Amino acid sequence: MTDIGPDPQYSPPYLPAAEAAALAARYDLTQVGVRPGFGAYVRELWRYRHLTWTLAKGEFVAENQDNHLGWLWSVINPILLGVAYYLIFGVLIGTRGGIDNFVTFLTIGLFVFIPISSALASGTKVLISRIKMIRSLTFPRVILPITVTLSQFVSAGPAFAVLVVIALLAGEPVTAEWLLFPVALLIVFFMCLGFALIGSRLVHAFRDLGNLMPLLTRLLRYVSGVFFSLEASIARFDGAPDWVGHILEFQPVAVALTLVREPMMAEFPLRWETWAIASAWAFGLTLVGFVFFWRGEGSYGRA
Amino acid sequence: MAEPELTGAPSAAIDASRVPSVVASHISITYRVFSPGRSEELDDPSDETGPLRRMLRRTSPGVGVREVEAVKDVSFVAYKGESIGVLGRNGSGKSTLLRTIAGVVPPTSGQLWLNGRAALLGVNAVLMARLSGRRNIWIGALAMGLTPDEVRERFDDIVEFADIGEFIDMPMSSYSSGMAARLRFAISTAVVPDILVVDEALSTGDAHFRDRANERITQIREQAGTVFIVSHNAATIQSLCDRALWIDGGRLLADGKPGPVAGLYQRKYGKNRHIWRERYAEIHRVIDQQGLEGARDLLRKWEPEGGW
Repeated sequence: MTDIGPDPQYSPPYLPAAEAAALAARYDLTQVGVRPGFGAYVRELWRYRHLTWTLAKGEFVAENQDNHLGWLWSVINPILLGVAYYLIFGVLIGTRGGIDNFVTFLTIGLFVFIPISSALASGTKVLISRIKMIRSLTFPRVILPITVTLSQFVSAGPAFAVLVVIALLAGEPVTAEWLLFPVALLIVFFMCLGFALIGSRLVHAFRDLGNLMPLLTRLLRYVSGVFFSLEASIARFDGAPDWVGHILEFQPVAVALTLVREPMMAEFPLRWETWAIASAWAFGLTLVGFVFFWRGEGSYGRA
Repeated sequence: MAEPELTGAPSAAIDASRVPSVVASHISITYRVFSPGRSEELDDPSDETGPLRRMLRRTSPGVGVREVEAVKDVSFVAYKGESIGVLGRNGSGKSTLLRTIAGVVPPTSGQLWLNGRAALLGVNAVLMARLSGRRNIWIGALAMGLTPDEVRERFDDIVEFADIGEFIDMPMSSYSSGMAARLRFAISTAVVPDILVVDEALSTGDAHFRDRANERITQIREQAGTVFIVSHNAATIQSLCDRALWIDGGRLLADGKPGPVAGLYQRKYGKNRHIWRERYAEIHRVIDQQGLEGARDLLRKWEPEGGW
């Protein structure tokens, strides 16, 4: 059959690439779909700071509006979860392991781990789950992992308030160290942000990695000392080399939990190494993550 | 950066007397599609290989990724003040191309330059369906680069143009398709973009809204912007545009005045396509028998204004 195709009269004229580039340069057009310079990218992010905050709030609202009690669930849920875990690990199995104030210990572990795990789960998938938004609006894509992490911490706000109340009820003495509690949370936030930045580009490039994330969070939940004392467990290993213990104790999630426990609980005195290592993780992960994510800008949205 | 040196006469594709707003140079866009995709030959009943062989060849279904080349080597230059219609069937790659022009889907290869800011307006421009219209206006307007003060200033205008009444505080998932389209249109035209890409947004909404939308598009055009309008309806393109592109199978087949380009499109897909198919067959026969001159006579007879 004859192809009724193009008509030579109206076929688009050939446009050599060099001439196109010259024309663009002459009128000072901006090229799209390419990675901006690092400085420009940071400035761009700053210009879009209001959008970041509005999106994070929106995310929080969207997550908590589909039922009658609305955002109250972000308070009720952690309390119920705390009770359940207390019954399982505190009463039934008994992982106390020499901790005096196990209730506070467990609550901190749980409430801090929840935003970490959600940031890992939804933060790493964000370039896939927000594809429609990416394909309809132009903005620096780094906003998306930032937004998701931010929204997880906004959602966790009520839980953190509950946490303070529980610590008071459980008889922890109020000291000046409590002022470090928000600082600790800030450090944890930047750790999560780093995870989300690195993970989201990886998952975008190899999306099968997204299926390993639940496994990773579960693993982290059990090795990071959420509901048992890591120190006591490490001490039980006979003849294990020191560095195994150090890795277990100072991997980001474990050190994050210790970081929050130290100012809040009298039985965990403040140690400089916890704070130094945690800050190093937070700073390093965020910086590496931001640069890593920026390197992929200009490729997001196609997959 | 040194300007690349031009050799010889400038390309016919460039009109040096006008200011370009979009320069697209050899753009290709490849999508990754995750699907249990296998080529259909495996299900061919006439396949005579043995069952074992078939089983081995049948790589596990449900595993794998396919690459789809949605746009292939498209080049064109658009100028300020132009209103360009993009014709093509469903799945011809026109929406993908326009998303790239709007700067939201980066091209796989080729280069694209824009003069100013582009905004995409379309049925697919999903904001956050679970959020209220109010929040979506904020998100959309901030994403277009407005400051919070500017958003506050224009908020009422946007609401008024969208005309959605008390639904402004309800989640967008509760909107009718017409309401959602109106809101999206209102948001994306709140700032006059330098390049507006309209992706079949005007097909939804009632007659009044369509009139107002057309009015607004005309306004944007008058402010020296460039407008791209996607449609598979040739009549829309002819009434709204002064230039047309025809995309078919990811390739740019024709570029010119809307009338003739729409004519070409209709030759291939319109209701008289069988007639044109016969005519083309006839032309090829004439070319074989009498050479090009005879064919030209025939074409002049069919299309007197064609300039053959």
